Amino acid sequence: MLEYRYLFGQLVRRELRQRYKGSALGILWYLVNPLLLMGVYGLLFGVLLKARGTSTHDYLLFLFVGLIVWLFFSQSLLAGASSLLEQSALVARVRFPRETVPASVVTVQLVTFCALLALALLVAVALRGTGVGLVLLVPLVVCLYAFALGLALVVSILHAYFRDVQPILAAVLLPWFFLSPIFFQPSQVSGIAHRHWLEILLNWGNPVAPFIRALRSVVFDGTVPSAGVLAYVVIAAALALAIGLTLFRRLEDELAVVL
Amino acid sequence: MNADGLAAGAIRLEHASRSFNAQGDRVRTLKDLLFGDRRRGLPAVQALRDVSLQVAPGETVGIVGRNGAGKSSTLRVLAGIVPLHSGSARCGGRVVSLLELGAGFGREFSGRENVYLTGALHGLTKDQIDERLADIISFSELEQFIDAPIRTYSSGMLVRLGFAITAQLEADVLLIDEVLAVGDESFQRKCLRRISERIADGTTLIIVSHSPLAIERICGRVVVLDAGRVIFDGPTAQGLLEYHRLIGEDEPMIARVQPTGNRPGIVQEIEIHDGEGRRRQLFRSGESLAVLMRLSERLPSDPPNVVLAIRDETGRPVFATQAPLDGDQGGAWMMFEVPRLALLGGDYDLVVGGYPEIDRLIGFSVAQEPGAEGVVDLRGTWTVQHELTGVAS
Repeated sequence: MLEYRYLFGQLVRRELRQRYKGSALGILWYLVNPLLLMGVYGLLFGVLLKARGTSTHDYLLFLFVGLIVWLFFSQSLLAGASSLLEQSALVARVRFPRETVPASVVTVQLVTFCALLALALLVAVALRGTGVGLVLLVPLVVCLYAFALGLALVVSILHAYFRDVQPILAAVLLPWFFLSPIFFQPSQVSGIAHRHWLEILLNWGNPVAPFIRALRSVVFDGTVPSAGVLAYVVIAAALALAIGLTLFRRLEDELAVVL
Repeated sequence: MNADGLAAGAIRLEHASRSFNAQGDRVRTLKDLLFGDRRRGLPAVQALRDVSLQVAPGETVGIVGRNGAGKSSTLRVLAGIVPLHSGSARCGGRVVSLLELGAGFGREFSGRENVYLTGALHGLTKDQIDERLADIISFSELEQFIDAPIRTYSSGMLVRLGFAITAQLEADVLLIDEVLAVGDESFQRKCLRRISERIADGTTLIIVSHSPLAIERICGRVVVLDAGRVIFDGPTAQGLLEYHRLIGEDEPMIARVQPTGNRPGIVQEIEIHDGEGRRRQLFRSGESLAVLMRLSERLPSDPPNVVLAIRDETGRPVFATQAPLDGDQGGAWMMFEVPRLALLGGDYDLVVGGYPEIDRLIGFSVAQEPGAEGVVDLRGTWTVQHELTGVAS
């Protein structure tokens, strides 16, 4: 596996460059999309619907942190699902660790995510100052990466066998997006006031929610997330990765045949 | 892989079987899984049936067979890309398969970038590729194009680059599938030379090809596959004869007759027979052979001469002869007999027609014999004399 580190690097670099090669804004497109989304949702929920009582720029930052976590997660899964199919010519001809293919597309997303996170951090420090929570930033990003990678391995290998995995995924991701605590905080939504179970469900039933909450406490609030959230994040990451690798290894033998 | 005692470069295929779904190219959807479309009535295609093969380090083996005989499956199994359903496949040491460039590679990326990616795919590090880059580029002869995106490359250029990279990888077992057929002749020769060097270094070579010529030049041993079974495994010349016998069976010689133009022509049919009057298309040097031509029913009153010519695979004339024709021979069979075929190994075209037109063309092959090269078998003998007493009459 180690001797293929260079292959991994090559695939990541190629993917990064290929995506927007020949386009005028090039790599900047990675940043344009999330910023545009932030602007639109900010206008919609922060100004027009007045979802929160805080100031608009605070809400934009709050929104932005949730949004980039979600985008990293969803884009990793969508790109991961079709990754093996896109590289079928390689997979069908050469013996190499096939995990490198979905892993490289998730890593490409990680690069974008880190750039956006740095931007968010810069703004957060300027507007709200730093907090002790920041020491947890890197471990949290590692956990998020492992979580997305594990699930990307699952959907990539399943999509190779069953071609409707990606369309299903795309359909599921949209409602999932709206149910994730991206532009709201479950504890502060009026509809939840007397339904405590709903708050618990939104916070814990959705495996992406703890990641969003953890990164938001660290970047936006500058505080250390609760022990429950931290434990959830670590366990979810380890579990996703273990399941992903197990399933991938079990099914990868026939890849050259089914692709 | 050496843990089980298999020497580097050795290959051991034991009772290998593998089948593919008849609709392997059909996209499976969850609906099929859930609602039980189990591809009713579609039999699995048995690509390999109980194939056993032992190859010693440094051997050169050509695999031939008809389309779908299991040639490529064998290579894919040996390369570890496709698993077996039963039996075992083991290769000692490092296995490298010659990769077609262009397909899975970034077509927007330059030849140079693709060299790095291909190298990486074979497990090389950047330093190892840096070391080999100059050799790869010079071998491919693509110096001026190496920084152009490979979408601008011709298929021949892609093969050049692909082969150049593969040639620079240290392999104990080298697997080559068909690709050498592309590319111009001088590059093919260069590849063959490079392969020969590799063989001299002790690399085991498995090559799948439709070109008997390439196999003849490189391989010491031929395996003939048919319907997933090994039907012959032995010396090259004999193996190629078997192969020709095999393809002769379902492609009768008459099927290879191609009319040129839509004139009725003087010669209507052509067959090549051996000494016993059987149709054949592969001969050995020195065998007897007869060309049978059926003349048109309606010959002109003053018919042209019948011309018969043999050309080698490059189209160069090897032999030509003519015979006069009478207007009342319409519908007759004309025969041209060769008591002892004086041609050496290769593929030939035999053309016949009413001079100067060509009416029919048929191909035949002569198996390579050791000890002689060229086109014509002069049938000379070597002797050594201590005192020169003159040449015996």
